[in-house]
Amino acid sequence: MSVTEYDVVIIGAGVAGLTAGALLSERGFNVALVTKGEPTACLSTGCIDVCSQNKNPLSGIRNLPREHPYNLIPEKMIKESLCLFQSDMNDAGLPYIGSSDENRSVLSALGTSKISCLIPSAMAAAPQENNNGSIHIITFKGLKDFYPGYIVSRRGSTKFSVYDAGVSTTMSLASRFEEKAFFEKFIAWLEKQTIHEEMIAFPAVLGMESATDIVNTISILTRKPVFEIPTIPPSMPGRRLFNALKKNFRQKGGVIYWAWPVAGTEKTGRVMEAVSTNSAGRPNSINAKAFILGTGSFVGGGLTATRATIEENVFDLPVHIPGPRETWFDNDYFSRNHGIGKAGIMTDAFMRPLDSPWKNIFVCGSILANAEVLKNGCGHGLALATAHAAAQSCSEYLSHEL
Amino acid sequence: MIIIGGGATGCGIARDLALRGIPHCLVEKGDFAAGATGACHGLLHSGGRYAVTDPVAARECYEENLILRRIGRKCVEQTGGLFVRLPGDSKRFREIFLRGCEDVGIPTEVISSTRAIDLVPNLNPEIEEAIIVPDCSIDPFRLCMLNIRTSELRGGIIYTRHKVTEIIKSHGRCTGVKTVDQATGEVREIHGNIIINATGAWAHMIATLAGCEVPLTLVKGSLVITNHRLTNMVINRLRHPSDGDIIVPNEAVCLAGTTALAIDDPDNLVTASPEVDTIINEAGRMIPHFNNTRIIRAFSGVRPLLKSKKADSHEISRGFQIINHENGLYSIVGGKLSTFRLMAEKMVDTVMDTFNLKRSCETAEIPLDGQEELSGYPLSKRLADMKNIVCECELVTRNYVESIIKQTGTRNVGDIQHRTRLGMGPCQGGFCTFRALGIMNDMSVISPEQSMEMLRGFLQRRYKGIRQALWGDQLREEQLVEYIYLGILSMEKRQ
Repeated sequence: MSVTEYDVVIIGAGVAGLTAGALLSERGFNVALVTKGEPTACLSTGCIDVCSQNKNPLSGIRNLPREHPYNLIPEKMIKESLCLFQSDMNDAGLPYIGSSDENRSVLSALGTSKISCLIPSAMAAAPQENNNGSIHIITFKGLKDFYPGYIVSRRGSTKFSVYDAGVSTTMSLASRFEEKAFFEKFIAWLEKQTIHEEMIAFPAVLGMESATDIVNTISILTRKPVFEIPTIPPSMPGRRLFNALKKNFRQKGGVIYWAWPVAGTEKTGRVMEAVSTNSAGRPNSINAKAFILGTGSFVGGGLTATRATIEENVFDLPVHIPGPRETWFDNDYFSRNHGIGKAGIMTDAFMRPLDSPWKNIFVCGSILANAEVLKNGCGHGLALATAHAAAQSCSEYLSHEL
Repeated sequence: MIIIGGGATGCGIARDLALRGIPHCLVEKGDFAAGATGACHGLLHSGGRYAVTDPVAARECYEENLILRRIGRKCVEQTGGLFVRLPGDSKRFREIFLRGCEDVGIPTEVISSTRAIDLVPNLNPEIEEAIIVPDCSIDPFRLCMLNIRTSELRGGIIYTRHKVTEIIKSHGRCTGVKTVDQATGEVREIHGNIIINATGAWAHMIATLAGCEVPLTLVKGSLVITNHRLTNMVINRLRHPSDGDIIVPNEAVCLAGTTALAIDDPDNLVTASPEVDTIINEAGRMIPHFNNTRIIRAFSGVRPLLKSKKADSHEISRGFQIINHENGLYSIVGGKLSTFRLMAEKMVDTVMDTFNLKRSCETAEIPLDGQEELSGYPLSKRLADMKNIVCECELVTRNYVESIIKQTGTRNVGDIQHRTRLGMGPCQGGFCTFRALGIMNDMSVISPEQSMEMLRGFLQRRYKGIRQALWGDQLREEQLVEYIYLGILSMEKRQ
């Protein structure tokens, strides 16, 4: 068995884990991140939902129920976490627009308005509230995850044209947009189109990493606002976010152990000593002074529900279970108010799990109890804020201040 | 002749009438196999299950089993079945069972637990012994389609998604029906000499339209579907018929059930989680792996049983009955999927007698039309079409979906699902229905507004089917799908 030693081991490569990792690396700690694989962030729209319940996200947070994990974090820290995210993403070449003062609208692939706070700049030109301006959508022949008809059903003035790129999946289209020859051919085609509508929209396939530049180029060329519409997974904007966070974490000195699922733990007294993983055909033990758990909820793999109960998968932490199985789901699919949304780990103000002996485990992201991410529209925003809080406590713990 | 109801019985009657050269029209309010037919195990009974409690039904089942295996080679999978006896199960029942099968003529073979485990490696190693019976599995939807094929080839007129709203009467006799096209709202009048009410659990409601009554006991039965095929044989528990004692392999999955609870309203079925737990626990006793396997769906169907005073509905006869309402309307009720052909034969015989027509039934001799096409779409071909796959779980391509839309002119995504298996896999249509509706919109068979409305309706229906199977991986999948529609796509309940 190989044994490696770090100050901090982070479990989970989502927005929470990568953010906490970057913060701790920046403070000079030796940080490793282990992950089973790609995070659910890759499936997301890439937008940072802070709290979509209210026009003003911070007011929305103030109105959340007392038990919501946002309430563990000072408003100042929430704001700082968003500012720092914007500046880090700018450095990583993925600028985000918006601020914690006001939510914005993103046009969804069904033509509805998705409310979010920080938006990838490639989606910035989407029509805001009460803007019923006409949109011309450019889509791609055979693209199976995008159908402009749904948007037409909401915005009658929408027109669309179809370009044959020779490929038909989100990923293959995005990679074609990184090829210079393809892009030139596409531009030549686009120049021949007569577009009367006020805005131009694309499904979010404009490049693996270069969407910002591609959107600008097309906008200058057509003299119209241009924006991307996020698609169902695989989602390019989600993947771009993941790649930018990864880049940021590595630049600050962090190490990622990719495809290393945690298989066991080692502990002494009230201190977690190591996580062991089975990877590359041999067991590995990774020792650390502190651990940050950012494994996500059910989809991410942090929690598992059985017929009888709900379990936390890495440290077997006590899980807050919202009643018996019958109460986990509401009968109305569209209620967004399923009891299961409250399942997760309860923590103290230092993000340490309640009712558990461990003093060196800090929890962040959507695995937190009572987050109700979908209902409150607070996914990545909560991840950023709680990652800051967890990193702060972890750093204090390591400096013997906690 | 007008047939109301497109379940196995109605479709069987249509085929029988077609083979006897009698002009007919079939009206169905949903798609084929929408009621009890589509919500059953898909078990073609050997009769063993009823050998003790209901020898008449058992004999009918076995005879029909032999006939269907002959005429429907391509839609019956000759899996064979086992009745397994677990520790604690009555030995006396075993004796009664074997005697019952012998009396009815069902061939049986008692085998050791070792031999049984050779046949079905997933079986509980603690079983005492097993009895082989000629159970088979059958795809109920395909069965309906094949019966309808004969009718269509011989001039039968078929209206699916047409709801009967009125029975037209003249001088006290039923002379036709008024139907409403569920997609367009168009009203149609269809006239005929005889109306056959083959609507299963809805038989009483239809009879009421003609001022008649059909005494029924409606018994809900719930089932679960696994993500895998855990057994290649039908597995029955060797005991008095009870909850959760049958597991049937069907295509890539297994169905296990059932339960039996009397209900009032066949349109308002709710599967309860204790039922699901019972089925899993009981099935898990026969195949322990059942406890850990992923359940992709839990749903309920309604058995339209003959009215009986018996309290335990497992005891009510599975036999059938033809009711002559003496006004041109006949109702056919009770029975089982396994005996649908016989029911159709008797029904048509009855009507033929009334008109003094002599032509005899041929449905037991002539193989089902159109079975050859079933071998249709091999895996190798599907993989070659990979880039156009719209349903990854069941490997359904865009071309296949388009061809079904062109062939049937359907405006209903459910019709596509039934015919292609789109949306039947682990994600239960979470990804592919969004695509199928988008394709229908691309082809201009539905408007953009309709595609939105249908997507909304689909999600609500889909949820009903998986609502009681949400834990483990299925819960993960469900949260992902919910995140996609309500998060990424920001879908609301109503516009």
